[in-house]
Amino acid sequence: MLYFRILKQKIFTSLPIIFLYFFSFYHFQTPEVGKINFFAFNFSMILIYFYVLKFPEDLGYENIFLAGIINDTVIGTPLGTTSLSYLSLSLFTSYIRNATLRSIMTTEWFTFIPALFFSNLIYLLVINNFSNVSFYYLELLQSTFFTFLFFPIFYYIFSSYQRLISKN
Amino acid sequence: MAIDRDDFVISIRSALLKKGAKQKFSLFFLIVLSILIITLDKYSFSYMKSARGVLNDLVYHVSIISSQPVVFKKYIFNKTSQHYSVVNENISLKKELNYLKKQKFKNAYLSSENEILKNALVLSDNKSYEQNFSISARVILDQNSPFLKSILINKGTNSNITKGMTVFSNDFLMGTVIEANYLTSRVLLLTDLNSKIPVIIENTNINAILEGTGKKKNLNLNYLPENYEIEPDKIIFSSGKDGFLIPGIPVAETYLNKKNKVLIKLLGDPNQAYIVNITNGQITR
Repeated sequence: MLYFRILKQKIFTSLPIIFLYFFSFYHFQTPEVGKINFFAFNFSMILIYFYVLKFPEDLGYENIFLAGIINDTVIGTPLGTTSLSYLSLSLFTSYIRNATLRSIMTTEWFTFIPALFFSNLIYLLVINNFSNVSFYYLELLQSTFFTFLFFPIFYYIFSSYQRLISKN
Repeated sequence: MAIDRDDFVISIRSALLKKGAKQKFSLFFLIVLSILIITLDKYSFSYMKSARGVLNDLVYHVSIISSQPVVFKKYIFNKTSQHYSVVNENISLKKELNYLKKQKFKNAYLSSENEILKNALVLSDNKSYEQNFSISARVILDQNSPFLKSILINKGTNSNITKGMTVFSNDFLMGTVIEANYLTSRVLLLTDLNSKIPVIIENTNINAILEGTGKKKNLNLNYLPENYEIEPDKIIFSSGKDGFLIPGIPVAETYLNKKNKVLIKLLGDPNQAYIVNITNGQITR
């Protein structure tokens, strides 16, 4: 019984990592409404930002790095680009965590803007200087905007989930 | 002011170097490792190429497995809709049969159906020109990434596929192989921003470069003569000016959209491709 409880706890705490790897391996297609793809958001970035900010022990930097490498392999961008982008997001988030005394959802939502900007800037710099790949700037902008917009929804989902785990 | 700067430096240093209890590496170490990997990948050393090939094969296969729940969902959805369409078809066929019995046209119906089936059989026997020549492969992953319009196929260097080979689907040009691993290959679709092929417009001697835009129903024609206006319903063929593709392969067509604007769309639909043919650039007719 105790063994089963430990295993259950282990699975529950590893779920963010499983999701991070799953969305690195599989890029789901979202429906387009007219010219705008409302649901094209970067789930991995929301996950990384939330967990590095709130529960840094649950999502190791090694996993973030490895998920980035896998993501690069799947979508065909230069190896290490997404890793660097994710790690720069983690760096920025880690800085916010160290610098903030009292955190509320609204401030964390708005500090997500410079974090996304910093991370995407690194991504664009690497793509432009280390590869010949042309870039869909508008789609990246769209995806970034909806990533920012959907953050509060996932914030509540993740917070509720973490509360549920700690209760159990 | 100096205290503020000190705080900033301490926070950054802490973010970069502090390791959690469960973490083996610091953020600083992993960032340096990422930069090292990017640099090694950029200069394409031989060992990096082989390492990337192995990594690609491994990740692609895991990616295929991870996409199985979605594939299974699609399969269930298709089977369910097929079931309902079969039920509906059954009802309508019963009605039709009764009607035919009443009208005593059964024989005529069967003979005409026979004729249709014979024609279909002749058409299916008439194999397309590319099938006799090329390597056939199955599309294993079509992830529709927002950054690269490409697909993955289940043949690689073990089936003599090399970088630069041309890919066809249902006799229509689809793209080129941009990455060949041992077991898998990546095909850059004509719709991608990086895809550029020399073409000629039907019934004219106008040469241009067909470029992808990321959308299959809105491609770009560049280097057209000044003041030239594209007409609708014209087929665009490969011109062969690159010395690689033979001239005359149908690639795209022009059409009028709802706003009466002439646009260019691909003849083949890359999203519907399931089995593709890979050639060394040319096809024999």
